[in-house]
Amino acid sequence: MSESSYTRVPVLGRQLRDFMFAGVLALVIASAAFVGVRNRELAARQIDLATRSADAVADGRDALPTVHAAIVSEPRISTKHSYLRRRTIREGGKTRVLGAEPHVADDKLFYDAANRAQQGATIAEMLPDGSGRALVAHKAPGGIAIAITAPAAPAPYPFLVFIGVLGLGASLVAAGALVGRNAQRLGTLAGIATLAVPTLLWQSWVAASLILALAFVVAAMQHIGVSDRFARGLVTHRVALSFLSPAAVAMSVLVAAPFVIGLLLGFYDHHQGTWTFVGLDNFTRILSGNGHSLDDPLNFWFILGVTVLWTVANIALHVTVGVSLALLLSRKWLRGKGIFRMLLILPWAIPNYITALMWKGMFQGQYGAVNSLLHAVGLGDVSWFGSWATAFSANVITNTWLGFPFMMVVALGALETIPKELYEAASVDGASAWQRFRHITLPHLRPALGPAVALGSIWTFNMFNVIFLVSGGKPGDSTNILVTDAYRWAFERGDRYGMAAAEGTIIFLILLLWTVFGTRVVRSKEPA
Amino acid sequence: MKRRAFNVRHALVHAALIVLVAVVLYPVMLVCKKAFEPGHATSLGGSPLPEHVTTQHFRDLFGARGPHGELLFLRQAANSIIIALATTVVGVVISCTAAYALSRLRFPGRKAGLTTFLVVQMFPATLLMLPLYVILDKLGLLNSMVGLVLVYSTTAIPFCVWTLKGYFDSLPRELEEAARIDGASPWMIFRRIILPLARPGIAVTALFSFMTAWNEFIMASTFMTDESKYTLPVLIQSSVGQFSADWGLFAAGAVVTSIPVMVAFYVLQRSLVGGLTAGAVKG
Repeated sequence: MSESSYTRVPVLGRQLRDFMFAGVLALVIASAAFVGVRNRELAARQIDLATRSADAVADGRDALPTVHAAIVSEPRISTKHSYLRRRTIREGGKTRVLGAEPHVADDKLFYDAANRAQQGATIAEMLPDGSGRALVAHKAPGGIAIAITAPAAPAPYPFLVFIGVLGLGASLVAAGALVGRNAQRLGTLAGIATLAVPTLLWQSWVAASLILALAFVVAAMQHIGVSDRFARGLVTHRVALSFLSPAAVAMSVLVAAPFVIGLLLGFYDHHQGTWTFVGLDNFTRILSGNGHSLDDPLNFWFILGVTVLWTVANIALHVTVGVSLALLLSRKWLRGKGIFRMLLILPWAIPNYITALMWKGMFQGQYGAVNSLLHAVGLGDVSWFGSWATAFSANVITNTWLGFPFMMVVALGALETIPKELYEAASVDGASAWQRFRHITLPHLRPALGPAVALGSIWTFNMFNVIFLVSGGKPGDSTNILVTDAYRWAFERGDRYGMAAAEGTIIFLILLLWTVFGTRVVRSKEPA
Repeated sequence: MKRRAFNVRHALVHAALIVLVAVVLYPVMLVCKKAFEPGHATSLGGSPLPEHVTTQHFRDLFGARGPHGELLFLRQAANSIIIALATTVVGVVISCTAAYALSRLRFPGRKAGLTTFLVVQMFPATLLMLPLYVILDKLGLLNSMVGLVLVYSTTAIPFCVWTLKGYFDSLPRELEEAARIDGASPWMIFRRIILPLARPGIAVTALFSFMTAWNEFIMASTFMTDESKYTLPVLIQSSVGQFSADWGLFAAGAVVTSIPVMVAFYVLQRSLVGGLTAGAVKG
């Protein structure tokens, strides 16, 4: 007796351990379901209140007590200012001019809603300010009937329900463990399945089936012993896990989740607030040039060409300027080394949006610094943002000024690691300065510059601020790179988020290919 | 004896460096000049030395008031400082621990983890904005500084983890092994040995986290709807907007916002050289 109860304690521990693990996952699923259901319920209830009130005022009856409802007239041309349209509002039997003194809190909402409902469509939606108010507006005799409900908070989080089902589930698991053998798996299955009960009550079938599937998976894992191995792994690597978990949680919520959502959005089309699944449409439209010819600045391949040119030009300039300066700065006999280095790093320390705006100011107009200098040496004005070549150069000059210090610092660090004896030995052997550079300096720079170039090329490829703030795509969108073009899809061409997301995905794939194959090319040049 | 003699090559290198520094500094001087020069210029140009000096632009900048009479600049400067410092603390703490695990401990999924930190940098940040907007909205963190701090620190983490991992890799392991034999826990080794040794690397990482938050304006202007919650970049960028450009005001703002980062760079310039390359050299 004592011996059998001794062996059962670890069984109970294991059962509860697996239940805890599944329970946390199930609670996350159930909470997500709850939030979704709660918002949907609130919206349904509030919109129903608003609809009934709008119908009531349309029929000349009173609105429900908590709802602010009124009839707003058709717009009439103002007698004072013929370019203004004004509407009157009739509420509680009184009529006044909408938006005139004295201001009433909801006037702007009423006015905007009236404008939108004018076309004959019915509006029924939650206000986007998160206050929980619903707005309903539709045409009615004498104008437009509009109703806005009072703010409402959604139902509170059901802590007690969750604690209750957790307790019930745990006792089912414990009961299974005490009975033993096959009842263990059954206990696990039943215990975890209990957690699906609240989601069934909320009629959120997806969450319920997810939790049930989880129950089966955990029971099966227990049966074949995977859960034990998994738990042992967690214990063995608990140190690594505890060090990594903060980063893992932060990254999964704020990087991985948006990343996945972003990838998915590429398969949808966004039009005036509604999303429709369009499969690969966005991608084919982008890759086929969206009806623009190859030399049109809106064609994807044109923009890709500009982007690649932009990246190559910048990286080449950054490396050349950075390495040359590092070589000058690393002379032993140089006076004021610290001051030179500090002053040359300065562009890096200036926020890059300020750099971009500063250079934009210098390229601008007749009195900008660049044109003044051209004047001083007897050259005429250049309208920098008037042609592609000059606008592109302006961008590249700005980005070179901003980016060379990074390469310089990396090269300086690498130069410091070169043993002096190598140069002395080479001098003794009669190597020329070029030979010393070619056979000693360069091989030592490469391992440090390789990763810096890989990282720098990713940054430059996605360098939004400089393009956006300096040329802004001028002239006529021709100096856009892929990221700024995607930004324009999202925010300047009628909120085409789907197209923007698809283009973002393409950018990501290009960079992925580049790091997988491109960096291999860079590495292969390394000395063995 | 020969060394004392005037060396033409040395003089040429010095002269070349002075010219290059002058070219690099010209735009900076120009901005400083505009900040102290009276009048409202429509572009940046001319001699880098001002003819008349005034503090008018700084007074305009500090004195600008919002719709409710609050001092806009001071308010937004305070927002920027709080957000940037919080981002630095959160970003550095999280990436230090992660980088230590990736550098010193062996566990399944380590390679995959390292690759993930590299790959996520390739997705353009401007396109994470829309999904992030939705997520922050659901979490109730829109228009809140906490939300912005979380977003900025996660943007900074991948780069910080890579830099720090490289730096940790370059530290000698003998001390840790000695400590382990003496019975120190991993946490103690991390705190008492790794962190003090890695100070230059951590300083550089902190600087980059700070700059990520201090320099960002697109997300700040999208996620914050309340003008009193804007950060400095939003204010400065709007001073030379589409419709009205006041380069004097811009220059004053630019000088004030650049100074903290420049000071940090000056203090950290020695660590910058070592901190960035230690990892890169080792690959």
